[in-house]
Amino acid sequence: MSSSSSSSSAAAAAAAGLAGLAFMFSTSILLQILVALMYVLVPMPCLFFGGGSTHFLTSREGGGWINAAKFLTGASAMGSLAIPAILRHAGLIETGAMFIEFTSFFILVCTVLCFHRATLDEDW
Amino acid sequence: MDTNNLLAAWPVLGPGVAGAVFGAGWWFWVDAVVCSAAAVPFLHYLPGFFASFAALMFNSVSREDIGDGYYSPYDDSEWRVKLWLFISYVVSFVSLAGAVGFLVQDALTNTGPSAWTGTAGVLQCVCILVSGLMYWTCHSED
Repeated sequence: MSSSSSSSSAAAAAAAGLAGLAFMFSTSILLQILVALMYVLVPMPCLFFGGGSTHFLTSREGGGWINAAKFLTGASAMGSLAIPAILRHAGLIETGAMFIEFTSFFILVCTVLCFHRATLDEDW
Repeated sequence: MDTNNLLAAWPVLGPGVAGAVFGAGWWFWVDAVVCSAAAVPFLHYLPGFFASFAALMFNSVSREDIGDGYYSPYDDSEWRVKLWLFISYVVSFVSLAGAVGFLVQDALTNTGPSAWTGTAGVLQCVCILVSGLMYWTCHSED
């Protein structure tokens, strides 16, 4: 009797461990999807309204659509910063994963700025 | 020198900063709803929606319409713009007051949403309205 109960409790512990691993795996997939989604969503307003180059980012002239593109880019960039913070607050991811997400966003921003500087230096 | 540079850069950066603040406001609310142990009633969502609607309202008029740069005795439509702006001001004030009221209610009762839900609601309204004001100061028409 005791051996069957101990084996059933061992099975229950193994099942709980497996569920924990499955949960971790699904959370990592969620983060991967989130990062990929952000790489697509954040540049989209600039793709549609930007006119083919990054010059509109620092140009003086405004215009309704360019302002709307900047607004949407700012909002989606804030979203890519906010979602890891919310997941951390809800306890779904660890603090280290949140900081990894922030670092990847920072690297993306630096890449865009370097690209902008590089295209400005080119002579057409 | 720095303030001059900031004023010159504001029309370039302003819409992006306004979008970021707007997003921050709504994400505060999402965080409160996700992390709330109790179910948040639909009534608590209303201040955020009405604040967004008010920000949209006062950004949909062009600033030149209410200026006195050109006065025409045949054009008396300025009062419509001013009425529209007044209504948007009333809606934004009521939404902010409603959010503060929900914060007080959440802080005083143990059942229902927590104090963080009420705080996030107030932060949401403030961020949305500030973002609307920022966008209003920097959007240019042409």
